[in-house]
Amino acid sequence: MQYSFTLLKADYLQRTRSYFFLITLAITVYAAYSFVPPNTASYTTLSVPGYRGAYNSAWVGYVSATMTTVMLSLYGFLLVNSGIKKDIDTEVGLIIATTPVSNFKYLLTKLFSNFLVLLTIAGITFAVSMVMFLLRGSGYPFIFADFIIPYIVFALPALFLVSGLAVVAEVFLSKRTILQFIIYFFICGAVMANINIPKPGIPTAVFDPFGLSLVTGSIKNQINTQFHEHIDQVSFGFIFSSHHKTFRTVVWNGVNWTSIFIFSRLIWIALSLALVYLSSFFFHRFDFNQSISKKKKALADNRQTEIIDLKPAPISKGPLPAIVTDYGILPFIKTELLLLVRKGSKWFWLVSAVVWVAMLFAPLDIAHAYLLPVIWFLQVTRLSELVTKEQTYRLHYFTYSSYKPLLRMLPAQILAGVALMVVLALPLIGRYLLVFNTFAVINIFCGAVFIVLLAVCLGIVSGGKKLFEVVFFMLTYAVTQKIRAIDYLGATPHESHTGYISVLLALILSFGLISFFVRNYQARHL
Amino acid sequence: MSLIIKNLTKQYNKNKIGLTDYSITIDKGVLGLLGPNGAGKSTLMKIIATISKPTEGTLFLDGEDIVQNPDRIRKVLGYLPQDFGVYPNLNAYEFLEYIAAMKGVGGKDLRKRVDMLIESVNLTADAKRPIGSYSGGMKQRIGIAQALLNDPKVLIFDEPTVGLDPEERMRFRQLISELADDCIIILSSHIVSDIETIADEVAIMKNGMLLEKAIQPDIIKKVEGKVFETLIDNSELNTIKTKHLVVNTSRQKDKVNVRYITRANQPEPGSTTVAATLEDAYLFLTQTN
Repeated sequence: MQYSFTLLKADYLQRTRSYFFLITLAITVYAAYSFVPPNTASYTTLSVPGYRGAYNSAWVGYVSATMTTVMLSLYGFLLVNSGIKKDIDTEVGLIIATTPVSNFKYLLTKLFSNFLVLLTIAGITFAVSMVMFLLRGSGYPFIFADFIIPYIVFALPALFLVSGLAVVAEVFLSKRTILQFIIYFFICGAVMANINIPKPGIPTAVFDPFGLSLVTGSIKNQINTQFHEHIDQVSFGFIFSSHHKTFRTVVWNGVNWTSIFIFSRLIWIALSLALVYLSSFFFHRFDFNQSISKKKKALADNRQTEIIDLKPAPISKGPLPAIVTDYGILPFIKTELLLLVRKGSKWFWLVSAVVWVAMLFAPLDIAHAYLLPVIWFLQVTRLSELVTKEQTYRLHYFTYSSYKPLLRMLPAQILAGVALMVVLALPLIGRYLLVFNTFAVINIFCGAVFIVLLAVCLGIVSGGKKLFEVVFFMLTYAVTQKIRAIDYLGATPHESHTGYISVLLALILSFGLISFFVRNYQARHL
Repeated sequence: MSLIIKNLTKQYNKNKIGLTDYSITIDKGVLGLLGPNGAGKSTLMKIIATISKPTEGTLFLDGEDIVQNPDRIRKVLGYLPQDFGVYPNLNAYEFLEYIAAMKGVGGKDLRKRVDMLIESVNLTADAKRPIGSYSGGMKQRIGIAQALLNDPKVLIFDEPTVGLDPEERMRFRQLISELADDCIIILSSHIVSDIETIADEVAIMKNGMLLEKAIQPDIIKKVEGKVFETLIDNSELNTIKTKHLVVNTSRQKDKVNVRYITRANQPEPGSTTVAATLEDAYLFLTQTN
């Protein structure tokens, strides 16, 4: 038990002592602040058409816990799903594999470490929610229980489940990060979509893994009873709208918890543990050779024989051809493109090819608003590695000591990334050119530059891939939800095209400058 | 060609100092850097390779300040870091061509140059395989090849023989001798015998400071006449350790053969004087300073 605690502590500290986590915490504080919008805001976070809750303890506490559950259920998975991968990359896993720590104990440590990371973030939103009550308070009394109970009863079990699913996904899909994202995204989407659908004879809240349906149901019932309405849907998330500027205020005092609901949370926690236990039987324990097919293994054995059979010749420089200097960036672009193409599984190229072809035939608005963000998101691991791979593969010693690295290497990486994104958008660009829609073409091009510069900037500043991967996932989700404020590829109409492009260009310029200056510092301070 | 380092200090934070007021002049030939872990060898090499900026002090390559103008040395630099990596999805040709682009080496003969370097480090048979499948020694040989891509005039090798088998180590030493005629080679190693056979001059470092820099015979002179060997019982070993600097022990049946450096010129009875080596001098200087 003591060893497990030590393992857990080390894992938690390793994850939280990073720039990425600091940035995540900063974003969390801002997000928690925005969970409780002022009355004049153009968005709501828990929305019933025409109604808004009075900012009493219950409303602020439940909204904060609900939003934390929604956000961390969606993005928390991305935040924590690399615990085992980190042990593979750092080769700490090989050491762990030789110790008496059992598979289950190891995976359990990962589960709790994931949970602690999410708990830290939830702790911040919890603290900020109380501050927000004081800031936005409308004279209602402060009731601590209204803040803490929703976190304990439904937010924490939901985060525990997310932590468990992240472990299970890593066991079964190992390094296939994108596939993990996609499968989880669909599971999560299906769960969220079912929250507002009542099923006769079935206690919906019990089967809702995130436990949100009890809250939404309670709010809905109170409004329907108090105002004789027939509302059947409560929305949550950041919902931007210019309508419903005037709201009727509903005073909602929280949920009456049933023992069956609380018991169901325990069942979900037990299910998470059971899933992790079952997955421990399939855990690779860092022995990847076991998954190599016989054919590949035979090939590897032959290669090994070749190496052994080699008779080493002397290392000697000999007369080499004269040096011809060439400080151009074309060879870099070539290699960067080569690395982008070879990165990841060939299956993902096949999926990308299918989406690429679909963009030729799908209705233009569908292709732009759904297929383009999807095909671009499929490149997430390629883009996130664009400027981080030197450090990942410890090649930065060569890069930083080369001739003018910032003026040659960085532009080459950006150009290669943009070229990839533009090539993937070609069917759409071609179709827009055929109908002379140059604005759309400019939007797509700017979107490509924007997303690549965002990858570059977040990669350089955080020193890792995760931050960009999470942000890109959030952006893609927002774009497919047609949230205009976040639509970086111009898929939804904007009031002023010039204004939209100006904002995008300003962001691109800012990302470029930040990247340049930070990398300039990094290159001389290893 | 000469590299002049003046009063170099590198302070990472309040409690961690890499180098303290370090000055040295390095001319053509091989300079071997010796020192215990944390002596500042890698810090010094990183600063010369321009990937770390000194907190204070200057570096001049042929009179030009390379702290202010790092690109001056980068054009003529070959650097093999201690814990470098490779892109596993590239093969040897692709990787070396990529590094060549970084170093500004191109032209139609580039492929031929890469080909010859691959051959010279004995990797031709594996050159078309992804480097990710290479063994540690093969990766180290790729590292050596990349350092030579641009006909460097300043070569920095940080622990270059790690991962090489004894035969490869011997060949690496031959290569260094071949190159030493027309460039500055700075080489660090924990293996004193490597430095002993390759280096023209030796610099011994400890705690970020230069203890000694001289040609090997002058350094060895510091311990001449002070190195002894004696055969003792195992139980006497601790007594000898308290009186002298024990540099080596080897078991011989029930006895132990002890090689030690006497601190007060009072050898143990029955001891015989033996010829001092660079390793003796290195241990003496680093343990007594």
